Amino acid sequence: MYDKTVRRRRAVLALLVVLSLLLLTAYFGEAPGGRLHAIQRDFLTVVSPIQDGANKALKPVRDLFSWFGNTLHAKSQLAQALKQTERLRRELAAAQEGKRAYHELLALSHLDQLGVDSYRPVAATVIDKDPNVWYSTVVIDKGESSGVHRNDPVINEEGLVGKVAQAAPDGALVELLTNSSMGVSARIGTSHATGLVQPKVGDPNDLLLGYLPSNAQANPGEYVVTSGTVTPQYPSLFPPGLLIGQVTSVDEESAYKSVNVHPVANLHDLDIVQVLTAGAGSRAANLDQLPATLQAGQGPSTNGGEQLASTQQVGG
Amino acid sequence: MSGSSAGPLALRLGALALVVVFFQIGVVSEVPVFGVNAELCALMVAFSGLLCGSMVGAVCGFAVGLFIDLALLQTLGLTSLIFTLVGYWCGRLRELRDPQGALTPLLVGVSASALSLIGYSLMEFMLGVDSPVSFQLLRVIVLGVVVNAIFALPMWALTRRALEAAMPEDPRRRRRRRAYTTGGLSPLTKA
Repeated sequence: MYDKTVRRRRAVLALLVVLSLLLLTAYFGEAPGGRLHAIQRDFLTVVSPIQDGANKALKPVRDLFSWFGNTLHAKSQLAQALKQTERLRRELAAAQEGKRAYHELLALSHLDQLGVDSYRPVAATVIDKDPNVWYSTVVIDKGESSGVHRNDPVINEEGLVGKVAQAAPDGALVELLTNSSMGVSARIGTSHATGLVQPKVGDPNDLLLGYLPSNAQANPGEYVVTSGTVTPQYPSLFPPGLLIGQVTSVDEESAYKSVNVHPVANLHDLDIVQVLTAGAGSRAANLDQLPATLQAGQGPSTNGGEQLASTQQVGG
Repeated sequence: MSGSSAGPLALRLGALALVVVFFQIGVVSEVPVFGVNAELCALMVAFSGLLCGSMVGAVCGFAVGLFIDLALLQTLGLTSLIFTLVGYWCGRLRELRDPQGALTPLLVGVSASALSLIGYSLMEFMLGVDSPVSFQLLRVIVLGVVVNAIFALPMWALTRRALEAAMPEDPRRRRRRRAYTTGGLSPLTKA
């Protein structure tokens, strides 16, 4: 009797472990359009209304807990915010002048820049967050039925949040900026030097703007924005000028200058986001078709790096 | 476990798992404490194992992990593998040692959290996340364990309350309880 129980217990454990490993291997090895991914999308379609309902029902509880934390932080942030408002007011005046000049130049050179206005923003609610230590993905309640496609940029009122990694009919998985497979071509403030923003190695909450030319100017406090397409053969997924983060420190030890960037969007507290959708033939749609022929270590070709990052599929 | 008690226990366990998973992804994942989030699902799986044994713990861990992987579009099999091992280990602890101390749930919760966080990190490294072990990552793991320790005792009370009514009577515990209430010896032995 005892032997039978022991044998059954061991058999169940072995079966579950083997099943997990089989799922892991098959899922990791298959393409995003594979059968297990399809099952996952179908499952999301079934449970997303439940998750959406639970999310709305539990919002008061969440808000209550958040209220305590926010109240503690509010006082310390007030003085900082006042100082920042002063600085931003001065910058706004300069930026308005710059914008006017920019539009004049744009009209003169007939540049076909795809700005945020050219995208069709779709508002979505975050219904699930990755509960593990990496915090690198969220699930939103809008999917293909709302025009959301893979590689569409995702923003919130603070700045760039990430991009759509997988889209189901009624939901989509968004990879956050801190996901290891993300890469965004970016520049610092008014500088023309572009680099590639990637998650900081070993620190899942911070970013690193790498591959900057050694003579690029960077000062702590400056804002980092998306650079948009720099070279036509490497179109960017992201429109230019989206706020990514703020420079915290500069590292000049390596051959290329790199800058530590703290994301402006609070990736731990996402509630409502906007997906910048674009129709067929857009950059996001076209990039989905690109063959993954780019090799790592292409140097400072930043948009190539962004493509490489966007075509790599790290599971989860 | 007898067949008659398996049905109600499975029902209660399933309902508890659903509630905890939705609460985890709907509330707890969005409310960081000390910059990290508690992992109630890992605690629930660990306490299911501690209450019901290794087989129930392993099956519960696999099911909860698979549900999380499916609902969050994560790598299938990753969370279920880790939670299966966590549930099984906690169940074996009960079967081999049957710890009765008041702090047992706290220690088991801390150990299960550490096992799950370290296991998850290791699996992520093995699956190609380009991040070496750093102070920041260790800090997140240590803080995660501390936060889970805060939630361990309430989670234990909830799991026990939800499952106890459907659990079969354990002869070892019945003997221990009788010995405790009669001062260590039964009246018949004294006579």
